[in-house]
Amino acid sequence: MIRVEDIQKHFGALHVLRGITFDVQKAEAIVIIGPSGSGKSTLLRCINLLVEPDSGKVFIDGVHVNRHGIRHEWVRQQVGMVFQSFNLFTHLTAIENVTLGLTRVKGIPHDQAIEKARKLLARVGLAAKENAYPAELSGGQQQRVAIARALAMDPKAMLFDEPTSALDPEYIREVLDVMAALAREGMTMIVVTHEMGFASNVASRILFMDAGKIIEEGTAEDIFQNPKEDRTRSFVSKILR
Amino acid sequence: METAAAFPLRAPPKLVTRLTIVHLVEMILGGILMVFVVLPSIFRFSLVSASFWQIYGRFYVTGLFGTFFYVALTLPLSVVLGFLMGWARVSRIRVFSWPASLYVNVFRGLPPLILVIFASLFGTNLVPQPIMDRFLSGFRRGDIAVGLAAIAIAMHSSAYQAEIFRAGFQSVPKGQQEAAQALGLRPWQGMMHVILPQTFRLSLPPLGNEFAVLIKDTSILAAISGTELVAKSRDLLGILPASGFPIVWIFAVWTVVALTYFVLTYSVTRGLRLLERKFHTPGLESISL
Amino acid sequence: MTNWRKFLRDRWRYFDAALALAVIIGSLVYIYDLLVGNRGLDVAYITRNYPLYLHAVFNVYATTIAFVVGMALGFSVGWLRTARTVSVAKFAASMRVEKRERQEAPSGSEVTRRLLVVLSLLWYGTKYVVRRIGDGFVEIIRGTPLYVQILFASSFFIVFLPQYASEGILIGIIALAINTGGYQAEIFRAGLQTVHSGQVEAARAIGFSRLKAMRYVILPQALRLIIPPLTNEYIGLFKASTLLFVLGVQGEISYIAQHEGFAGDVFEIFAIVTVIFLAITVTLSFVVQALERRFRIPGLGIEQVKLPRGVRLARVGG
Repeated sequence: MIRVEDIQKHFGALHVLRGITFDVQKAEAIVIIGPSGSGKSTLLRCINLLVEPDSGKVFIDGVHVNRHGIRHEWVRQQVGMVFQSFNLFTHLTAIENVTLGLTRVKGIPHDQAIEKARKLLARVGLAAKENAYPAELSGGQQQRVAIARALAMDPKAMLFDEPTSALDPEYIREVLDVMAALAREGMTMIVVTHEMGFASNVASRILFMDAGKIIEEGTAEDIFQNPKEDRTRSFVSKILR
Repeated sequence: METAAAFPLRAPPKLVTRLTIVHLVEMILGGILMVFVVLPSIFRFSLVSASFWQIYGRFYVTGLFGTFFYVALTLPLSVVLGFLMGWARVSRIRVFSWPASLYVNVFRGLPPLILVIFASLFGTNLVPQPIMDRFLSGFRRGDIAVGLAAIAIAMHSSAYQAEIFRAGFQSVPKGQQEAAQALGLRPWQGMMHVILPQTFRLSLPPLGNEFAVLIKDTSILAAISGTELVAKSRDLLGILPASGFPIVWIFAVWTVVALTYFVLTYSVTRGLRLLERKFHTPGLESISL
Repeated sequence: MTNWRKFLRDRWRYFDAALALAVIIGSLVYIYDLLVGNRGLDVAYITRNYPLYLHAVFNVYATTIAFVVGMALGFSVGWLRTARTVSVAKFAASMRVEKRERQEAPSGSEVTRRLLVVLSLLWYGTKYVVRRIGDGFVEIIRGTPLYVQILFASSFFIVFLPQYASEGILIGIIALAINTGGYQAEIFRAGLQTVHSGQVEAARAIGFSRLKAMRYVILPQALRLIIPPLTNEYIGLFKASTLLFVLGVQGEISYIAQHEGFAGDVFEIFAIVTVIFLAITVTLSFVVQALERRFRIPGLGIEQVKLPRGVRLARVGG
């Protein structure tokens, strides 16, 4: 479904991604863990080309997307993205946030877009909040609207960039529940997170990244119970207390 | 995720008091007291004197229309220029941002009076000859000079408006554009539907202040004898003693002029404030400069 | 990706900067050509008119005096305007409570009670009137053009104090001081009100008196907050001081008026004036930035002083 081949990325003198290669099958949920600054967010942004990789290839559904002649906007419709800081459009209500992409990118008529947006908001449990502005919603509610907004574009895969790390503890649960339900329904997902419960219950595979490289890859048991690499071991021991 | 501030500050006080009925009544009563009781009893004039208005009325109306004309000329021009310059200043492309920044710094650094005199003396040299011949040939030279001076005032104000718009652009978080692109919107669509609406809402109240300043600045055109309120009122002073009014009636003229400007600026700022409240969105509080 | 494309992308920054400089220099040269053309710049004229520099210094001097006087005025009015006024309804309610308490536990005579009511009425009434006068002063100053204010002041002197009517400098400085006082009042008020009330509580809690809390806790914070807007106000006043030409005060404009009568084709003189003004205002705005850096305390944000409508130099941004 998504294939990444030998991606390199520099920011000035900083070598952020040092040759990343991995595959994601359809309906698979991948969790990426790793210390901060290890390039996880940049990797996600390289997949939907918010950041253009210096070299290497990105395939989505078999299409080589980071080559000349492919429109970035098309790529971004194929993969939805959810941000750490929600990034809901502040001047639009919840439902307008969801319909903006539908009407402006897909050109769907307004009433059909509204209908679809209502369904999606109901799916994330926010049917009652459709006319609220982002500032009037709790962090967890904002993040669920953001998920609905990404889902509205009918993406083939979803990228989650630390979706719960900006949330107060009491709101983390509701967002993770929505994500777990998505995974059960067969959505292809790449999630950067440090929620170990989510990783072990939902993830089909876990990648451990450090210093721009994938150090280790395996099931939740492999990584958490008996990691092979030293760096993985020390990181896992830190986050598992 | 709020970073704890070392010195917590009270939420900035609402310095502009709400336009409540009480406040408005207080204001109007105070104004009436001032204009019809306090000032007349100090300076011994009366604003309801028919013979005064008989000679001042014509000057006042001409002057007021002149002021309206210059405001109507400068205000839209300054908004358009200011917006473009503010946009250019936040651009990553230096071909836009560097000239814009020079423009802003030069026009902010010079007093409007200097700009006005400069424009009225040399402005015609700067207008390309074809435009001069085709569109402006019907006007008198003096009128063209004053018109160019008005444009100079608009440019002075646009430099300040550029700073307002720049602050508006910069206070829209970067993540907004990123999120728009992640949805598949093109950069110009993100600009159009996500960034610009927020910028405008954030810039509205400071823009109102700037409009008030612009209205007041048009009075500087009196220095080069533009036909506007202050100039016309000054013209009247010459014939006032000849018409049998004591000299203190000068203050009647200045009171009327001041009151007119006050009403104009006050209604503009209040009007924009009402507009802001109409468009008010929780979480989008206006910028302060 | 073809080679030239990559080359362009890597070197874009330099192309861009070069192009921007070309646009700037090109348009400046174009304007210069339109204004001066083949005539050539009259350098001798510039060197001959050195008194202009002295006049610029004089403008700074008049501005500074007016600014300092205005500061005293502004601080007083600004402080007055932070006064809390009590609404009539609240005042009546507290009087009723007081009366009931008196009836339940009578102490003191009826006369002293009446006296107390009258005194507090006077106290709150005065506070109300004083505050409203302050409000009115600020509104009038900010709502009317400085040009009209200067003309008003000069008329005042001509009519009532004709012996001083020829002292243009005196009239000008008075007019400027009153004007800047109105604007500075808003700056001081904003600064004083932005300091957290919790700070006063904390100061009182460790035993400061009200005055000492003002001196050691409120003012140090408020001053840090208002120094940049005050400097901006100074720049604005300096620019506004050109308007004193109305009074025949020495300055660039009146110099030009006297010597050239606004009719001569004296581009050179405007070049000098422009350079002088830009030098002074740009230098001062660098000073503002330096001051902001110098006085910055983490968490005590200068940007948090919200200045209301028309504070003239709230206009001068970063």
